[in-house]
Amino acid sequence: MFTYVLKTLWRHRTRTLLTVTGAAVAMFVFCFVGSVQEGLQRLTTGSDADRSLIVFQENRFCPTTSRLPEDYSRKIKEIPGVRDVMPIQVWTNNCRASLDIVVFNGADPQQIKSTRPLTLTAGDWHAFSTQRDAAIVGRNVAQRRGLKTGDQFSIGDISVKVAGVFQSTVPSEENLIYTSLAFLQYTRGLDAAGLVTQHEVLLTDDADPDRVASEIDAKLRAGSVATKTRRKGAFQASTLSDLVDLIGFAHWLGYACVGLVLSLVATTTVMSVQDRIKEYAVLQTIGVRPLRAMRLVLTESTILCLVGGIAGTALAMAALAIGGFAIGAEGATIAFRPSIGLALTGALVSLAVGIAAGLAPAIQAGTVPIVNALRQA
Amino acid sequence: MALVELRGVSKSFRKGDETITPLDDIDLDIDAGDFVSLMGPSGTGKSTLLNLVSGIDRPDSGTITVDGTEVTKLSRSKLADWRAANLGYIFQTHNLIPVLTAYENVELPTLLLNLSSTQRRQRVELALEAVGLSDRADHYPRQLSGGQEQRVGIARAIVAHPKVVVADEPTGSLDTETSEQVQVLLQRLNKELDITLLMVTHDRDAASIASRQLMLDRGKFLERGGDKESGSLGEWEVGVGNAGDSVAIKKFG
Repeated sequence: MFTYVLKTLWRHRTRTLLTVTGAAVAMFVFCFVGSVQEGLQRLTTGSDADRSLIVFQENRFCPTTSRLPEDYSRKIKEIPGVRDVMPIQVWTNNCRASLDIVVFNGADPQQIKSTRPLTLTAGDWHAFSTQRDAAIVGRNVAQRRGLKTGDQFSIGDISVKVAGVFQSTVPSEENLIYTSLAFLQYTRGLDAAGLVTQHEVLLTDDADPDRVASEIDAKLRAGSVATKTRRKGAFQASTLSDLVDLIGFAHWLGYACVGLVLSLVATTTVMSVQDRIKEYAVLQTIGVRPLRAMRLVLTESTILCLVGGIAGTALAMAALAIGGFAIGAEGATIAFRPSIGLALTGALVSLAVGIAAGLAPAIQAGTVPIVNALRQA
Repeated sequence: MALVELRGVSKSFRKGDETITPLDDIDLDIDAGDFVSLMGPSGTGKSTLLNLVSGIDRPDSGTITVDGTEVTKLSRSKLADWRAANLGYIFQTHNLIPVLTAYENVELPTLLLNLSSTQRRQRVELALEAVGLSDRADHYPRQLSGGQEQRVGIARAIVAHPKVVVADEPTGSLDTETSEQVQVLLQRLNKELDITLLMVTHDRDAASIASRQLMLDRGKFLERGGDKESGSLGEWEVGVGNAGDSVAIKKFG
């Protein structure tokens, strides 16, 4: 009977193709929206987001406006619960929301190597550590900008030599370019000698992040610049607050895509069943049970939805893997990355929607008054 | 005991404000191996009777028993199972599934039975051979003539070795020559395979090939009492199988 379903779909191939394409496009968008939400989730939760703190200048948001003394790191280290402190100078080409934001993080190369989950896929650490204008570039930035080891990359007043390309287990890291701290501090226009944008504080395993954050702000209150210390996840969520609202709204777009697939496949299946209602009556006359007739319809709608949904999901995964897309604001970036969870969600949603879309026409096919349907011309 | 027994079967339809009762307290017995033709003016309930016997419609009252199974008591699912195992249906307009080949159309009923693929293949090949279409097995309905389509429909109806085959005007949409071929085929199936056939037809020639010819008129059966073998126009006996009616003679035609 499966042959019957496949041949029926093939017989109406234009309709089948259009429905499958529609489902694919909708599921492509669904997965893209899902990847943005996953990216935000990764950025604001997890051990990295919870077990490290960001010390920023109080009442400042854009990295260009936060100017903290570099030697704050020494004072912060003295606070119990602090394992390490990394002063970071941040430079970005755009403080507003952008799909092609370029963010430089200047820090001590040895600290970068020891604290960041980075793996060089090209180039070497030695060149990065020893050359003043050397930079290692995140895989996504390299993809977007077409950068490779040995290239000279200039943006604004900054010009660096690409010493390596790295990948990271933290996707947002792959949208950064790391340089040495001194290089970025002395870049023309920044005028930041002895200053940094923020201090990243790594905590010991038993430290209470909120207590340490309060102690840091209290201790530095007597300093030249007041600070605001938050968990890294909270800091990034706050930095990206405008985008967070937008992304929160975008999940409705994801639901709309599911609704679109449901409506599209249901319409196609209803039309298909209505066109062939006599066939279903004939099948039941020769002994096909009503439930089996319903299963035939459900199989049809599920195939349409699964083929379209899986194609759309696969395309989205490929685009996310190849494109290196990210959205950022004020120096923080959300990476759009494919994931097994997202792929499985896409497939499961397609399956569920396929079954749901076929329910009404399946009932119609299974309960058709046989005699009346056979009389249809 | 007859293979098919109808007792006190009535069926009414609503048409606007009017109630039409084509079948009113009908009794009928069909023995195994019978070839029964059923004629009558349009709207007298011939097809309704066929649909009731085949279990795709239900009577308002009365019982229908086929080979000891009271089909009027079966649920819709059970009826489907019963049809798959016991009934073949030949449609006037063939009603082949257009996306399936002749072979696949004939194979459909066997998919509903507990048969191995080898058994299925053997049955389908034999059924196609019986209707003389082995060489058209891979053809789609659109690639077949009307007569060939009807023969595929007949093969589909007999492939599951049903106890009863019902045919609703099987020659109604065919030209004279093709119609005669189908009549011969049905007669052979009845005689050589001993298939019990109940055929509704408007065609007297088609009706004359049956071993038993019934006419349905105003809710009652008339049975031709002439020489069945010669097929000559005979007399129609009123009330045969119609409980409670006295026997009368009436000329037909």
